[in-house]
Amino acid sequence: MTFTQQKEDKEIEEALVKDFQAGNLDAYDKIAELYQQKIYALSFNLMRNQMDAQDVTQEVLLILFRKIHTFQGKSAFSSWVYRITLNACYMRMRSKKKEPNISIDELLPSFSGAGFQQEKIRDWSKSTESSLFTNETREVIKKAVDLLPEKEKVVFLLRDVEELSTEKVSGILDLTVPAVKSRLHRARLFLRKKLSGYFEEYGSPKGKI
Amino acid sequence: MICCKECIDLLHDYLEGSLAQETRDALDEHFRECPPCIAFLNTYKSTSRLCRETLHQIEIPDEVRHTLQNFLKEHKIQQEGM
Ligand SMILES: [Zn+2]
Repeated sequence: MTFTQQKEDKEIEEALVKDFQAGNLDAYDKIAELYQQKIYALSFNLMRNQMDAQDVTQEVLLILFRKIHTFQGKSAFSSWVYRITLNACYMRMRSKKKEPNISIDELLPSFSGAGFQQEKIRDWSKSTESSLFTNETREVIKKAVDLLPEKEKVVFLLRDVEELSTEKVSGILDLTVPAVKSRLHRARLFLRKKLSGYFEEYGSPKGKI
Repeated sequence: MICCKECIDLLHDYLEGSLAQETRDALDEHFRECPPCIAFLNTYKSTSRLCRETLHQIEIPDEVRHTLQNFLKEHKIQQEGM
């Protein structure tokens, strides 16, 4: 997306929000249309359950409708929507029994006393063209992300999947910029390790590639 | 030369381009001499890309879209009736 287009989108969005705040229901329909995909995708990636993601999307659309007058434009409208979405997901996740998180530290890279790489590191990056993806590969990736602890997962989804800026994520989550960076880095290290186990085999001479 | 640990610790900032020139040069120098860290860098980058490509494909299923449409429609009728 070009910068100009982003700017135009932002202006259209701001105009829609103003129209809706002034009582224009058609503007609300457009906002709902623009946002339901984002709300659903984030909820689904966080909870991995269609029913829950649907419920959260409904709930958020309803909150947007009822609470639009409380939106003051101090942050971007999208940040406001993301925050409401995450709160709705957290409420739902808290009410469910969850499996204990595995410790992220165990999967961080290990180094020798002098700080040098200890493990054998294979470069599987060349064997990951998405055109070669099987459903199995996609499942492996989804499962790996599901295993991330909540704190790291939400930062990873907003930064690397939704591609929001560090600053924006820090605003949405009320975290400092260094905290966002550190959680993102830990999430990437964890996922890299998880995916390595799979791709090293996938890209081995025995495999297709 | 900086060690592998320092190099890996700085990967996020290295890719973001937010390191001071001097530190950046030190990492580049390390990469030239350390194939394992190059492999690490490449797979670290691939990890983000793979996850994005996979998770970005989440689309609203038709039946959910349908439910949402009905929900909004009903809701609007209620509002207009108020
Ligand atoms: Zn190294």
